[in-house]
Amino acid sequence: MSEAARATSSGPGRVLIAVYGVFALSATARAGVQIATRFGEAPVAYLLSALAGVVYILATIGLAGHSPAARRLGWAAVLFELIGVLTIGTITVFDTGDFPDDTVWSVYGRGYGFVPLVLPLVGLWWLRHTRAR
Amino acid sequence: MIGALVVVVFVALAALAVYGIVITALNRPPDAWTKRAVGAVVALLVVQAAIAAVRVFGGVTLPETTTFLIYLVVSICVLPIATQFAAAEPTRWGGAVVAVGAIATAVAVWRLQGLWAAAGV
Repeated sequence: MSEAARATSSGPGRVLIAVYGVFALSATARAGVQIATRFGEAPVAYLLSALAGVVYILATIGLAGHSPAARRLGWAAVLFELIGVLTIGTITVFDTGDFPDDTVWSVYGRGYGFVPLVLPLVGLWWLRHTRAR
Repeated sequence: MIGALVVVVFVALAALAVYGIVITALNRPPDAWTKRAVGAVVALLVVQAAIAAVRVFGGVTLPETTTFLIYLVVSICVLPIATQFAAAEPTRWGGAVVAVGAIATAVAVWRLQGLWAAAGV
């Protein structure tokens, strides 16, 4: 028996989308202010914040959509997010020199209660849980 | 910002978050009472934002005025949007969506309070 994919935007998925939406808003707004007011202080960190914000926006759109294309976008964005938080998290744990200012992914998202580390894992589980099989 | 009002706002947001989690646990969709509760909390947030905005534009200098004003707007907007999204699909998960909105708003108010305290007014 094959079963069609279920909407990622239904049931508990709505809670996940709400959390992604909050992170999309906060990461993007924070990066926007940082880049607009003091870009010269830590350009790498602020550009990474902006990148994280864009990734959260794309993940929110992907999870909220209903089409196969939205699901692919969701997979890509959430995977990128996991790689991003692990990479930036590891770099910032061992060497703070390159990151004079915090990003949302610094030290595995410590500044945000480690939610940035847990969120992509839940997102990947949810995409897998609702897939066609 | 007024110290006493901030405390009331925090208590109201915490109560709303608990309420949302409880209706999810009880397997009930958000109802009219949820919307009334959100309306009351948003009214408090609007009063707080109005007082803060008047004082900022009235000459109180903050270390990061732009950031403060953005948080002020966020503190008002998140709950109505979350509630709209929660009510669009009436399942048990609506309450948890409202709770996420309440917690995010509490974080915004906490940051507002931090920026306000840093100004020493």
